[in-house]
Amino acid sequence: MTMVAPGAKAELAVEDDGPIPYMQRTRDYYLALGYGNPYRWAHFDEVPFTPLRTPLSRARVALITTAAPYQPEAGNQEPGAPYNAAAKFYQVYSIPAESVPDLRISHVGYDRKHSTAADIHAYFPLGRMKEAAAAGRIGSLGPRVHGAPTNRSHRATETDAEELLRRCQEDRVEAAVLVPS
Amino acid sequence: MCHQTVSLVARHLEEQGIPTVIMGCAKDIVEHCGVPRFLFSDFPLGNSAGRPLDAESQAQTLELALRVLESAPAARTTVQSPQRWNGVAAWKRDYLDLAKLSPDSIAERRKEFDEVKTIARAKREES
Repeated sequence: MTMVAPGAKAELAVEDDGPIPYMQRTRDYYLALGYGNPYRWAHFDEVPFTPLRTPLSRARVALITTAAPYQPEAGNQEPGAPYNAAAKFYQVYSIPAESVPDLRISHVGYDRKHSTAADIHAYFPLGRMKEAAAAGRIGSLGPRVHGAPTNRSHRATETDAEELLRRCQEDRVEAAVLVPS
Repeated sequence: MCHQTVSLVARHLEEQGIPTVIMGCAKDIVEHCGVPRFLFSDFPLGNSAGRPLDAESQAQTLELALRVLESAPAARTTVQSPQRWNGVAAWKRDYLDLAKLSPDSIAERRKEFDEVKTIARAKREES
């Protein structure tokens, strides 16, 4: 932890110790690989906001993930596996929250040099959310966990977002925690 | 793409009356999109929910996200977790670092990427 105690003086951080500029790195990388026409990341001026109306200790909370269900026929999905496009999915999925799902992230560009995806709880907080529900920190979990496909196409994601909304409404959740992989 | 995906989904849920919080590691992508509430962990991609094999780190990360969910005063609220990946920040230089790639390895990467795109397209068309 890097909280500074009251009365203590914080030290200056080194120059390049800020958040990684992923959009710039990605743009430079694919230009260097010879692909023109850089990707346009989604960007909005206006941002919606809905206040939480129910105290969390009474609220039903959804979990939405971009991790993929393990597919035995789809090649190497083990921790540290190379990027595996065959393990991708393109339909919204839902699984019972009471289960202990086997979800992997070999289908996305996580940091394979500094991370191995060996612990599902580092990218999928269902276990920790169950503990929070048991402790009364949140009222309950939604009955299902929902999986969001990752797409370059904004339009495809908008269609998936509509389906995820429909499922959240069916589940009557009052808030949602979204966790990218 | 994961961070953009959840950003777009969070916006849609919020527009339709469901409050959201994103837990993530790519600050620029999420903030560029514009989302209601965001807990940023300055960790390598793939660790949005806390440090691997460290239940305490994961519980603290979730707790902070829940606090952001219940107390953000307005849209575009980002809170950065005080947790550090490790003492030094050198890991941040490595992601898609062009300086470490020779022309040969760039050509190889391009070939691999074209193959991956073909596989992904086939998978998308069959689903």
